[in-house]
Amino acid sequence: MNNEDKLKAAFKNDAALRDAIKLDELEAPKMPADLNARLMKRVAAQAPTTSRTRKLWPWIAAACAVAFIAVFITPPKFGTEGTEMVAKVEKNEAPAQTAPAPAPAAVVAKAEHIAPIAPAAPKVAPVAPKATKAAKPAIAAPVKPEAIEPAVEHVLAAATTVPKAVAEEKMVTMSERDIPITRPENYKYTPEELAQLKKQAAEAYLKWVELEMEISKNNLEQALK
Amino acid sequence: MNHSTDIDLIEGLIKQNPKAQQTMLDRYGQLVFAQVARLVSGIENAEEVYQDVFIKVFRSIDMYDAEKSSLRTWLSRIAYHESISYLRHSSKPVIYYEDREGEAEKLSESEVNATFGQPNPETVQLIRAALKHLPPDERAIITMFYYEEMSLKDIAYVTESIPTTVASKLSRTRKKLCKIIKMLQS
Repeated sequence: MNNEDKLKAAFKNDAALRDAIKLDELEAPKMPADLNARLMKRVAAQAPTTSRTRKLWPWIAAACAVAFIAVFITPPKFGTEGTEMVAKVEKNEAPAQTAPAPAPAAVVAKAEHIAPIAPAAPKVAPVAPKATKAAKPAIAAPVKPEAIEPAVEHVLAAATTVPKAVAEEKMVTMSERDIPITRPENYKYTPEELAQLKKQAAEAYLKWVELEMEISKNNLEQALK
Repeated sequence: MNHSTDIDLIEGLIKQNPKAQQTMLDRYGQLVFAQVARLVSGIENAEEVYQDVFIKVFRSIDMYDAEKSSLRTWLSRIAYHESISYLRHSSKPVIYYEDREGEAEKLSESEVNATFGQPNPETVQLIRAALKHLPPDERAIITMFYYEEMSLKDIAYVTESIPTTVASKLSRTRKKLCKIIKMLQS
């Protein structure tokens, strides 16, 4: 006799309990006659939705895959920079070194206006690289104003031929790359900076040793007292 | 229910055949509704759970394993769990007797046998009143055993338990009912 048979035999005499449950079940709420019809309607209404979902998901998956690949394949616009800044150059700010012609003055003024942004960086040419194609020789030139002059003349010649373009150059676009600190070539320390850092580290270490010695000396004195 | 007819029915359900779905509802609808109504109070709530049960059944019919259980037991299992899940998420509280101090366990077997062995109307009414104080899952188990006459193995399958656990739960519920009756009498 297994566990179940034992249990059934033990509960066999529970006639009152069985009757009570039976009565309860008889008095339980009956299933509404239209419930199955309502359910079938619901099932029929849901059926096209599922098939539609099944048909749509491969397309959604394919679109996601294409977007993912596109993100990885497309090269970045620039190496490091994120946003672009626009610097407005005003005509009347043209310094004394610029040529007297009114239209080219704007081009030179633009170059001089941008230059002070990175005056201390040794490796950076102090002019905006994105000014115009014509202005590029002037940008590559050394910092000395005398050296800029011939390039400026060249720029002036080019600018006078295209007056419309010069008018548009009132607005100069600068990128983050134009700021020395974000230039890749400035990421590395110069030998001078490295030497300075080493010197500072050595000094800090010496000070720490001195402090440690002072502390131990003090401790000894206190112990003696 | 004939096993071969159930196989045909399942084949039709796998193909999402509306005729098979209607046959399923005609054949097992009453049973499922009774089981749901036993656990979930309120006919509207029971109807909602009933519909959810069959939608789940139609969607997951390919998961039915004839070797593990009959179709009827499998349906009972889904109905049981759907009802319990509904009760858990329902905002309406379920009030029932909980024997925290284990007083029911102190009752002797002869005392319990004597209480349930007298099928007089007064005792039957008392038992019916006491049944209302049982937690829904215990009430479901005791009904499956005494009314639907399901085996311990099937009850264990429905409740995702093991037969020995079901047996001990039945025994405990029986004693708890007896304790409630004594409390009602006093």
